Amino acid sequence: MSRNAHPDAMAPSKPGRTRTAPPQLPDQFPFGGRYLAYTLFDLTGILYLLLGFLVLCAVWSLGSGEAAWNGVLERNRSMLYVGFHAIALVGVIFVGIRFFGFFPKAQPPRIGPVKPPPKPVILAMLYALWIGVTAFLSIVLAGGIF
Amino acid sequence: MKHLLLKLEPLIWLLFGQGILLGTVLLTGWVLVVGLAIPLGIVPADALSYERAQMLGSHIIGRVILLGLIVLPLWKGAHHMRHIFLDFGGAKRDVLVAPLLYLLAASGSVLAVVAIVRI
Repeated sequence: MSRNAHPDAMAPSKPGRTRTAPPQLPDQFPFGGRYLAYTLFDLTGILYLLLGFLVLCAVWSLGSGEAAWNGVLERNRSMLYVGFHAIALVGVIFVGIRFFGFFPKAQPPRIGPVKPPPKPVILAMLYALWIGVTAFLSIVLAGGIF
Repeated sequence: MKHLLLKLEPLIWLLFGQGILLGTVLLTGWVLVVGLAIPLGIVPADALSYERAQMLGSHIIGRVILLGLIVLPLWKGAHHMRHIFLDFGGAKRDVLVAPLLYLLAASGSVLAVVAIVRI
C-alpha cells in the first residue's frame, strides 16, 4: 500500500560536507540581459493581482446599486486609474506575446495517439483567439452589440 | 504546510496557467474599454450605464466571463508574486509567504462568487 512521501524524505539527516559552492544569483539578474524579460514577466503578477481586485470591486458595486456603479465609472476617470490601466494594458499585451511565444514550444511531441498541430498553426490559433475575444468583448462592452 | 502546498501544486498551476492564457485573453478587452476608452471619452459612458451593465452582468455568460476576469488574474498574480519572492532570496520564508498569497487569491475568488451572485 502506498502513502504520500514526505517532502524532505530524501534530505540527509544532518548537513554533510560538500565541495559545491552555495547557490548564487547570476550576475545579470534581475534586470540585465535575458533576465529583464523574465523578471518583467514575473512582475506582471502585481498588475494581474490588482486588476483582479479592481474587477471584483466593480462587480461588487454593480450588485450594490446604481450609485455604487456610477461611483466606479467616476473613479475610473481619475488620472491615477487611467495611468494604471494604461500600464496594465501594456503588461497584459506583454504577457500575451511572451506566453503565446513559448506555448507552442512547450507542447509534448504526442498527446496520446494525436500529434499536436505544427507550431505556427498553434501560434496562429492562439492569436486568433486573443484578437477575436478582445474584439468581441470590446464591441459588447462599448455597446456595439447586445 | 510544505506538504499541503505540494499537494495543491497541480490545482495552483492549473489556475495560474489559465490565469495567463484566459486571464490575458479576457483582460485585454476589459482594460481597453472599461479602463481606458470609457474614462477617456472615446466610448460614451452610456455604453456601460447601470441598466446595461446589469443586463450584461446578470446573463449566465456574463457571469462566467466576470468570474474568469476576477479569479484567474488573482491566481496568476499570486503565483507570480510568490516566484518574485523566491527569486529575490525569499526561499526560507516561502512556507509563510506562499500560503498568504494563495489565501489572498482564494479569498478574492470566494468574494468573486458572492459578488456575481449579488448582481
